[in-house]
Amino acid sequence: MKKNLLRQWQKRGTVLSLHSVLFVALFIMCLPFLWMLSTSFKTSSEVLKFPPTWIPHDFTFENYVELFKAIDFIHPFYNSVIIALVSVILSVIVCSLAAYAFAKFNFKGRDKLFMVLLGTMMVPGVVMQIPTFLLMKALGLINSYTGIILPGIASVGMIFFFRQFLSTISNDYIEAARIDGAGEIRIFWSIILPMMRPALVAQGIFAFTASWNSFMWPLIIATDDRFYTLPLALTQLDGQHASNYGLSMSGAIVVIIPLVILFMFTQKYFLNSMNIGGVKE
Amino acid sequence: MKTNLRSLLFFLSPALILLSVFLLIPIGAAVYMSFNKIGVEALIDPQTISFVGITNYTQIIFHDELFRKALLNTVIVLVIAMPLTVALSLSLAVLINSKLTKFSSLFRVGFYLPAISNTIAVALVWKWLLNGDYGLINYLLSLVGINGPQWLTNEHTAIFTIIMLVVWKGIGPNTILYMAALSSVPDSVKEAAEIDGASAWQRFIKITVPMLAPTTTYISIMLLIGYLQLFEEPFMLTGGGPVNSTTSIVMLIYNEAFKYFNFGYASAISMVLFFIIFAVSLIRIKLTKLGS
Amino acid sequence: MATVELKQVTKEYPNGYKAVHGIDLQIRDGEFMVFVGPSGCAKSTTLRMIAGLEEISGGEIYIGNRMINNLPPKDRGIAMVFQNYALYPHMSVYENMAFGLKVAKLPKAEIDKRVREAAEKLEITELLHKKPKEMSGGQRQRVAVGRAIVRKPDVFLFDEPLSNLDAKLRVSMRIRITQLHKELQAAGQTATMIYVTHDQVEAMTMGDRICILNYGKIMQVDTPLNVYNYPQNKFVAGFIGSPAMNLIQVRVIKTNGGVNLRLADELELTLPPAKAQYLLDYDGKTIWFGIRPEHISLVNADDNTTGSTIHGAVEIVEQMGNESYIHFSLNGVSLVARTAQFGSQTLQQGQDRVAFRFLLEHCHLFDLDTEENIGLK
Repeated sequence: MKKNLLRQWQKRGTVLSLHSVLFVALFIMCLPFLWMLSTSFKTSSEVLKFPPTWIPHDFTFENYVELFKAIDFIHPFYNSVIIALVSVILSVIVCSLAAYAFAKFNFKGRDKLFMVLLGTMMVPGVVMQIPTFLLMKALGLINSYTGIILPGIASVGMIFFFRQFLSTISNDYIEAARIDGAGEIRIFWSIILPMMRPALVAQGIFAFTASWNSFMWPLIIATDDRFYTLPLALTQLDGQHASNYGLSMSGAIVVIIPLVILFMFTQKYFLNSMNIGGVKE
Repeated sequence: MKTNLRSLLFFLSPALILLSVFLLIPIGAAVYMSFNKIGVEALIDPQTISFVGITNYTQIIFHDELFRKALLNTVIVLVIAMPLTVALSLSLAVLINSKLTKFSSLFRVGFYLPAISNTIAVALVWKWLLNGDYGLINYLLSLVGINGPQWLTNEHTAIFTIIMLVVWKGIGPNTILYMAALSSVPDSVKEAAEIDGASAWQRFIKITVPMLAPTTTYISIMLLIGYLQLFEEPFMLTGGGPVNSTTSIVMLIYNEAFKYFNFGYASAISMVLFFIIFAVSLIRIKLTKLGS
Repeated sequence: MATVELKQVTKEYPNGYKAVHGIDLQIRDGEFMVFVGPSGCAKSTTLRMIAGLEEISGGEIYIGNRMINNLPPKDRGIAMVFQNYALYPHMSVYENMAFGLKVAKLPKAEIDKRVREAAEKLEITELLHKKPKEMSGGQRQRVAVGRAIVRKPDVFLFDEPLSNLDAKLRVSMRIRITQLHKELQAAGQTATMIYVTHDQVEAMTMGDRICILNYGKIMQVDTPLNVYNYPQNKFVAGFIGSPAMNLIQVRVIKTNGGVNLRLADELELTLPPAKAQYLLDYDGKTIWFGIRPEHISLVNADDNTTGSTIHGAVEIVEQMGNESYIHFSLNGVSLVARTAQFGSQTLQQGQDRVAFRFLLEHCHLFDLDTEENIGLK
């Protein structure tokens, strides 16, 4: 009896310490977000109050109102949405087409070409960015949607992910469709694409996130604030309105929230998209 | 069945054209540019480009103090942040995966938040939280009697603050990768070890960790490729300072290319960075092979 | 006219591996032809060449009177049922069956009629709205067959369609496909069927004729019973039949009255004259001697009929319930006898001097080098 009781207490202790560690970690991971959220609803006087408050005393929307009214935050928001959506759609189309060719067609040099492409994943992005900037300059595509979107459409990572996915789809489906009389494009459109749905959604979300958060390339190629995306507009907030934390925190919330919502709804797909093949050997 | 050329071109050419123009040719161009002096005047008159051989490289390797400093900073970040991220991700994954843990999906989502959050947005709040005089962090520390440092403005602590932030951002995705890998370790193996008389800790070190090796290798390589390209955190939080104590290699390249318009020299540094990433990845892969 | 004719058909892969070595075969209109053989015998490759999924390296294939070497699959007048069904997972049963007809741009009403007819025939009408993953293996298999039927092909191709099913279902699907063949024929449709399997029971029970393949060559083409009773060569003899035919090397010894076979050093069997006549040129040579397990019977231990009864030692008795397989050895040579006799139940492992009688009028003799059946020449 005594032993049993002891063991029960031991187990309770383990459970307690386990959860304390996890909750402390959760607090550290989420601290900036909580603070951001709280500050964005504070009046400018409360923002700098010391000691700080967690729950705003005078709950206010004035920061958000100012963000969209006084400073033009709508425009970068619109830019970010357009750029991310167009990038995702084009990326998914271009990459799934190529992945299908790499996975299901036999052609000379296929595997060598694919290895070369995979090898480029080790090349840091900045290597390509300098010549690409000069090319864009020569083509007059600095400060244009095309200039921001085009270089990112064909992604080796996405092609690789799709190819891995397609290699798990039996060739029998393709052959059955061929016997059913479907041409190559019909097979891809009616049979393969629907079967790729989970992979398309996963990579689509992944690409949306990457585009939404991308910073260095827009920073290089968009020098005119008409083409600023949200992250670029945020850096402006940091510079011009340095002391107005309420404003910059509401800006940060506006940038972060859409992805958090997307993430909540598509968790399953999202987490899949990280498994870019490499783990299973 | 033999592939007909027309349908092959239909499927492959959009990606191949884009990859050629924006990936393969730029890589070739970067190699070429790294052997030339290309300044801002080249944007108007390509005639001003002059071939300088390996001068750019000798300059970088033997004479560029700033490059040495940036290299040192980047290496410090890699050497500390990579093992730390791996260790923390694995530990958290083990804790969340434990049968005793409740709310595991809450933790999974919470830990993942930093990874999907925009670095610029997050940097804005960290900069303020970490302010030495009126930041929340030092206030919280003062509540428990600790006198917090000047996180971002002290030459000696700034780099470690940057490390903390990249680790903070890197933990989430890798925790989830480890959780997936942990649940794929068959129970029967652990049970066999238990019957052999191994303690929980021994089972973890001798059975679980070795079986996670492929995941660890994958995570390490992805992390090292990412950490060696450190840019956004120092760009936003410290601007590379104080006294260049947080300048990273990519920041240096960015400044050389897009602030001072030394395109040739910047390309040469980017090639050196590529070489470093390649070499370190190779060493990491070799280490795995030695281990197994 | 849906005859299928293969003339000197070969298959060679780019890496130089030759899978099919010049196959000649004529399949009659409405015939049920089974391709059977061990894995790697190129039975599937041959089928896929007929389907148009695999390029033909050499020779010609005709369906009806058309040479179809260079036609795409859809123009060959064929339909195919795959081993893993290959039902499109995102489409309902109805859509799966209708897909090929839609591609062929048939009018909607005609598509609907054909799909419903086929569904009724296969008793899957109530499944039409379901997705493949909501169905059992047997149901999926029926849908796969249905998808082939609606195309009203000249030739049905089956690529090991039952090997993913469990044993019980396999038996009932086997019967269903055989019935389907008869029904289609009765309805006046051309229903030439080519059926690939590695299962000899399917081959024996389903085929009008069986084509036995090994290493890309045809070993024999004939009706199931002929293949069983008159195997053309040692390979067919050993492949068809379970438990397999006993095949041992023996030495031919001419005696004044006829021919004796010496096996296991000292034991001798005397061939009946009907068999002996083929071995006149083989005196002193070694040949393959084959006898099916059911042609060896247990006799009383004191039966000493010379020439056909031999005493051996029992190694293992496998009881099947309705019959027994007795594994025994003659001076180290292992053989199997198959018997329904109750006496076998009292046999024990290691029991010596059990008498076995060989029904030699049913034995087969194969040349040592060519492995051809000597008696069929």
